[in-house]
Amino acid sequence: MSEIFTFDNVRFLAQGLGMTIMIALITIVLSIFFGSILAIAKNYGNKFFSKLASAYIELFRCTPNLLWILAIRFMVPIPPLASGVLSFTLFTTAVVAEIIRGGLNSIPKGQFEGAASQGFTFVQTLWYIVLPQCFMKIVPSLLSQMITIIKDTSFLWAVAIEEFTGKSMILMGQLRTGGQVLCLFAVIAGVYFLLNFTLSCVVRKRQEKSAI
Amino acid sequence: MIRVENVNKFFGDVHVLKDVNLTVEEGEKLVIIGPSGSGKSTLIRCMNYLEEPTSGKVYIDDVELTHKNKTEMARKCSSMVFQQFNLYPHMTVLGNLTLAPIKLQGVPKEKAIEDAYGYLERVGLRHKADAYPQNLSGGQQQRVAIARALATKQKIILFDEPTSALDPEMVQEVLDVMVELSKENITMICVTHEMGFARQVADRVIFMDGGTIIESGTPDHFFENPQNERTKSFLSKILR
Repeated sequence: MSEIFTFDNVRFLAQGLGMTIMIALITIVLSIFFGSILAIAKNYGNKFFSKLASAYIELFRCTPNLLWILAIRFMVPIPPLASGVLSFTLFTTAVVAEIIRGGLNSIPKGQFEGAASQGFTFVQTLWYIVLPQCFMKIVPSLLSQMITIIKDTSFLWAVAIEEFTGKSMILMGQLRTGGQVLCLFAVIAGVYFLLNFTLSCVVRKRQEKSAI
Repeated sequence: MIRVENVNKFFGDVHVLKDVNLTVEEGEKLVIIGPSGSGKSTLIRCMNYLEEPTSGKVYIDDVELTHKNKTEMARKCSSMVFQQFNLYPHMTVLGNLTLAPIKLQGVPKEKAIEDAYGYLERVGLRHKADAYPQNLSGGQQQRVAIARALATKQKIILFDEPTSALDPEMVQEVLDVMVELSKENITMICVTHEMGFARQVADRVIFMDGGTIIESGTPDHFFENPQNERTKSFLSKILR
């Protein structure tokens, strides 16, 4: 045990965990931004933009994530972190767009009418009245998506991006006994579990709160 | 002040408004009654272009409402009180009252808040300024909605069945606020089933059925001596 988790090795793993969290955070922020644009375009845009947004969403919902990870990594010459973020943002945007659309569709028509009767333009209505309500409703779904992203970042190991799983696998190569391998796997799983379970508890708290 | 000219409205194949003509004077209190499906809500919703007429024109102060200017005209001329209140649930009562003045009319925040307290005072809900709409009763929510309509200081307030969604014991508190309001020089147009309110407040009552205005007159004439058979039968069912 103490042989595996030397100060250097722990620091090595922590760097990987940092990378994982960084990719997940940047991805979710970018995905919320682009996903909002897609959701609004699909719901309220003219025929052209609506179709374009639908096409994007369907394309990324119906193709494997790993394919995009590989494609971006091998075809776009950018640093590993950027490559991870780009590929994850591409398909997470499609998922988040659908989550946001669900939120938008749950806003009663009366909110739009109330705002229109006061003289808010459509954009002002979205900004001041509809989107704030929408995001309050979808916080649990967005956090769940965050959990999915954190888990899925382990795919990036396949393209030699050194996030948490990637770092662990490098460390794994130096181990000699089956017991050590088992121990390291257990610790990796434990770290992912703790991180995501915490998020999951937050989700549940939020859901209970919004149920009232 | 408001002029409705030859307005027709279709929802799909359904002809909801049939060549409606109506003029409302400044400061007038007009009550529109009629059975459900008669087009009365659609008519009032044409007056701020929440519904755009299929044909015909609506003027406010001689300016024709169009798809282009409807937002600007709503901002400048009219407010609406809805059956379902349509308050903004993510904001406090105070936030609901100050959003439009601050964001649309450029009122400084402090002034908007001060004004908002004044309007809440008038509807008897000053103590609820920091509450969220969903924690208020239906009657209180509708009074907040009326205060919100007042907060933008418009000359016209449109009431679309303001008491129809309320529990019976809450109707009176809302009507009291509206009666109080009617003493001012605000143009009030009110779609309602509250005949007592119509009698007490209206300068003129119009009765609609099948998408047309069947009869129009002062409350006295209207309730005591209706001319049209359809009006008589409607009133006989509703006034017992």
